[in-house]
Amino acid sequence: MKNAYWKNIFTNWGKKESENVTIIKKIPIFANLNHKELEEVSKLLHDRTYKPDEYIFKRHAPGEGMFIIHSGIVNIIVGEASGNSQLLAELSNGDFFGEMALMEDEVRSAAALAKDHSRLLGFFRPDLEALIEINPSLGSKILQNLSKVVCTRLRKTNDLLMENQLVKKKKA
Amino acid sequence: MNDDKNYIQLIYRLIVIVISFGFLTIIWPYISSVITMLIFAFLFTTILLPLVDKLESKINSRGISIVIVTISLITTFVVFLKSFASGMLSQARDFSKQIGTKGYDDNLNSLATKLESYLNKYINFPEIDSSNFVSRINIMVGEIIQNLMSLAGAIGGFVFTTIMVLIFTIILLSNYHGFKKSIVQFIPNKYFEMGLRVIFNIERQVSKYLQGQLLAASSVALMSFIGLSILNFMGANLTLVVFIAIIAGLANLIPLVGPFAGMLPAILVAIMNNIGSDIAINHQIINTIPSPFYILDIIIMFLIVQQIDNNIVTPILVGESVGIHPLIVMISLLIGGTLIGPIGMLLAVPAAGILKVIGVEIMFLRRNAHLL
Repeated sequence: MKNAYWKNIFTNWGKKESENVTIIKKIPIFANLNHKELEEVSKLLHDRTYKPDEYIFKRHAPGEGMFIIHSGIVNIIVGEASGNSQLLAELSNGDFFGEMALMEDEVRSAAALAKDHSRLLGFFRPDLEALIEINPSLGSKILQNLSKVVCTRLRKTNDLLMENQLVKKKKA
Repeated sequence: MNDDKNYIQLIYRLIVIVISFGFLTIIWPYISSVITMLIFAFLFTTILLPLVDKLESKINSRGISIVIVTISLITTFVVFLKSFASGMLSQARDFSKQIGTKGYDDNLNSLATKLESYLNKYINFPEIDSSNFVSRINIMVGEIIQNLMSLAGAIGGFVFTTIMVLIFTIILLSNYHGFKKSIVQFIPNKYFEMGLRVIFNIERQVSKYLQGQLLAASSVALMSFIGLSILNFMGANLTLVVFIAIIAGLANLIPLVGPFAGMLPAILVAIMNNIGSDIAINHQIINTIPSPFYILDIIIMFLIVQQIDNNIVTPILVGESVGIHPLIVMISLLIGGTLIGPIGMLLAVPAAGILKVIGVEIMFLRRNAHLL
């Protein structure tokens, strides 16, 4: 009886790392977060499963947050599914997408389509906003990481643009 | 063929809606009290949730956070109730002492005569028979004692409801995020982000409205306290000022009717404390407008508080949290009041806000069905 009582009080002690924590700690947005903070974030995640060829979201749909791939394959596409769609990226386990929606209440710039049976973890803007209010230090860590990710993507886009311009100039 | 299918689907949906509505009407009397308790528990959860979440992130235990918040809340409530009861008791003791004093009857009858002459001076009232004033009060007191038994029953019911609401609130607080996730789990993938958006918006709407209203109620309580203290400084002889101010603040939560209900305790205390005092009976505002027992002073003070609250405090604190047209607010208050009385009036505005959020999202969905 006594043992059960103490077990109940110190319920978080000696607890094994949850599956979701193992996945999100590899995501750059949750880098440099300690175990307690990762556990706090993992409580906010929404576990979803998608069938092959099922849309996770469509282009121009309002975006609420990002998705992390627990398992499966997700295609990021631009254009219509029927006909002239262009594949931007094929993402798999541990990859993430839609992170821009965490920062702005805008429509999705591309569509995400499950290529295979996929299990995704969703992390959404209202939860992030609540987290910033409740635990500002953790919230600011995530925001800082998020801005780093966006900066890296912007730099890569700039490099690609410059490469494209160089190729065009060479062709001309 | 497709049109036929849609037509059948529409009829099927209509039948389901009618059956559900009929079923709800039949079972409503049995579940209405539980639903009301759950609504109150949800409202308390919405108010206390940020506090519990914040504490949890500091001490890393949700259970202990809930215990701390609940105990603090109960302690505050008990201390308030105890001080209020003891204040009321001493007030009643003083009043009964006053009743026992020799010549009280004369005092009361002279008050009635004076009131009659005052009223006749300004308004042409039909004849008021003041000779029976004391005997009429005696009959009224008898009726009040008779009603005390039913009041005891009502208090018992109130205590039971309070305990149930408390239990529901604790359960909701401990599993709130889990409950929300379970609800979200049921949303089909196609409507997932849209569903989340609706839930978050409803949550935000209710939370903002409640926090704004609580802040506005606190400001009304503070302003009423200052106003009543000023009246006391002018010689109004008001006691239980803190409690009257808190009650005025709480009454303010009920739109339209609340502010007037908040005045009553102050007027009652003013009459009880000043009975027999010639200065109070003959009191005039700026030596011109008669205000026996400072009643008019109290009404003016509360009207000023209301004006400051309505025009300065509430627009800043509550802002456009609900963003509903005043006409819709009035209509929803009337509907809420007719359906479930004062509680309905209290819940009418946030309920209208929730319906607005759902309506906006449905409109968006209809316009952008291709995005799902």
